[in-house]
Amino acid sequence: MNKFKRTVMWAALTLVILLIFLSIYGAFIGAERASNFFNSLPLAVYWLAFIVLLIVGLAAFRRLVRVPGLLLIHIGCIGILAGSMWGSEAGHKLQKRLFGIDKIRKGRMIISESERDNHVALENNNQIRELPFSIELKDFRIEYYKPQYLQIRTRQGRSWRIPVEIGTEFPLGDDFGTVTILRAFENFKIRIEDGENVFFDDPQPGFNPALEVQIESPGGEVVTKYVFERFGGHTHPEDKFLLSYHRTISDYVSELQIIENDKVVAEKDIEVNHPLHYGGYHFYQHSYDDQAGQYTILMVVSDTGIAVVFAGYWMLCIGVFWHLWLRGILAGIKSEKQIDGN
Amino acid sequence: MEIKYTIQGLLIYIAIVAYVLAFVTTLLRRRKIAHLLYIFGSVIAVLSFGYRWYAVRHVPLQNLFEVFLCLGMIYPVSLFCRRILRVGGYSADMLIGATVLFPAGFVFNAQPQKLPPALQSWLFAPHVAVYMLSYIFMAKATYQACLQLAGRQHQFPRSGGSCQQKGGSDQKNENWCCPNPDENLLSPEQSTYQMIRVGFVLLTLGLVLGSWWGKLAWGDYWGWDPKELWSLASWLVYVGYFHFRYMFGKKHARINSFWAIAGMVVIVITLLWVNLSRIFGGLHSYAT
Ligand code: HEM
Repeated sequence: MNKFKRTVMWAALTLVILLIFLSIYGAFIGAERASNFFNSLPLAVYWLAFIVLLIVGLAAFRRLVRVPGLLLIHIGCIGILAGSMWGSEAGHKLQKRLFGIDKIRKGRMIISESERDNHVALENNNQIRELPFSIELKDFRIEYYKPQYLQIRTRQGRSWRIPVEIGTEFPLGDDFGTVTILRAFENFKIRIEDGENVFFDDPQPGFNPALEVQIESPGGEVVTKYVFERFGGHTHPEDKFLLSYHRTISDYVSELQIIENDKVVAEKDIEVNHPLHYGGYHFYQHSYDDQAGQYTILMVVSDTGIAVVFAGYWMLCIGVFWHLWLRGILAGIKSEKQIDGN
Repeated sequence: MEIKYTIQGLLIYIAIVAYVLAFVTTLLRRRKIAHLLYIFGSVIAVLSFGYRWYAVRHVPLQNLFEVFLCLGMIYPVSLFCRRILRVGGYSADMLIGATVLFPAGFVFNAQPQKLPPALQSWLFAPHVAVYMLSYIFMAKATYQACLQLAGRQHQFPRSGGSCQQKGGSDQKNENWCCPNPDENLLSPEQSTYQMIRVGFVLLTLGLVLGSWWGKLAWGDYWGWDPKELWSLASWLVYVGYFHFRYMFGKKHARINSFWAIAGMVVIVITLLWVNLSRIFGGLHSYAT
């Protein structure tokens, strides 16, 4: 290896070691500060230096270009770095200045059911910007794993987990009697009619899941209890049982339509792990109205640079597979053939 | 420390005992018995993993209990390394098997959990599975690196340590299941490289699949969170290893080995960071 090549390799090793320490430092300061740190100006210089060094390496070492696996690995790394710099906040600013492309990098949208909106609250400064199209939320819903459970505990520490099956009597043993779940409410409300409390499931906006539970003691005494998912733990000192209502969320779903010039141009029920891609943006299920389930919160992310990053990922993966595995496998087969041939 | 009085726990404890006995028997040079014990332990480890899968009804790689349970099924990797890659280390693998099952048996909570929405992705199982497999290869690389540092030229003594058969017969070459001391295994330095070659491909795949999944689930293919940064650091240590070894070959074999060991140290921190970050109270981590 000549002096120049040696210098290039030492520089590569230095940048790799530096990045190891920077990553460990980043791990200690937490995601938000680490993100700012790795997107800062000195780090932009570092990333550029890495890209330049990879290019110099490709120019200096002929084997890096001649050996396909090595070429894919190193070009893949350039793609990942270049694509992510292009798609960063600074990359978006640069594109605006150079080419007049003015895209939102990242932000949030709050959309109520049956309404449409195109306003995005930017992530970095909470400014409001507008998309060139609108999004309508047809419906937002939360899905739960089945069965859901009623948890019953005695003060002595015995417990039962009862699947919510309306009308099914569940025996708790000779000492404790039986439990029957009579009704399940999505939005439990009380109104007073003729001086009596009437419990009902309110179809109006609201979110107060509850169960109506009947407990029959071994002596035949029957009591009715209401157990609330969001307000657990209400018990009286004389209560024999502590009741709680648990549901495990399986998914959040927003039924979206993209409206452009008053026409529906795209439609998708987005869920966690299943975003919608339209007009240079990805829309993600980010959060929701946890009080009444009436609106959804979408995360809007620009797709600039993604294709290059993912192409880089493919090249890197194929490259390492080719160079570190496939060559070995082929060499093994070849040598076995030679042994067989002899 | 909690003892699990369940079928799941019992299976884990049997596998641990089998692995430890296999290791001890190896030290006593009863290689065939050791090997059978190793296979037995591994079958129990597979049963234990299958039992968990059946119980939770999804690929059990959701939490550290399940991940360590998965790591316990190490035997096929040992066999593949020895037969195909000419890398030994059976006895160390037995210890690795027992060591990774220990936290599953005694430390981590085995309460089954439903998959939260973010984990319901087809990328979840392959992402974690390739990581676990790569960690096993990297653990084996670390063992070979330690052998190199200890000054071993070969992985087995060339003389002695033969296969003990009943009736005193020595069937070294015919007996497939018994490691043969005269097998043509690679030197520890070469073995370390070989293991890292295999492990690095899986490590890269794990990193990329994780990034892809992050993009689908949270909108960012890279979030700079501590776990991601530790995994990047471990990947970079092996990138450093490759380039250092390319520059100097075997001239600084000991430094090559230090790179491999450093990689494993960072992997262990990556794997346990969520837990460690709780110990270092006050440090920001997405798990706290
Ligand atoms: C920073 C600039 C870099 C330079 C100048 C550079 C240069 C080189 C050189 C000269 C080789 C040896 C090729 C040969 O076998 O003849 C090599 C191998 C390799 N490089 Fe890089 N590299 C760089 C960054 C990276 C990065 C970021 C990765 C990440 C995946 C990487 C992965 C590899 C791998 C896997 C090998 C093969 C090692 C082996 O065959 O043992 N390199 N690189």
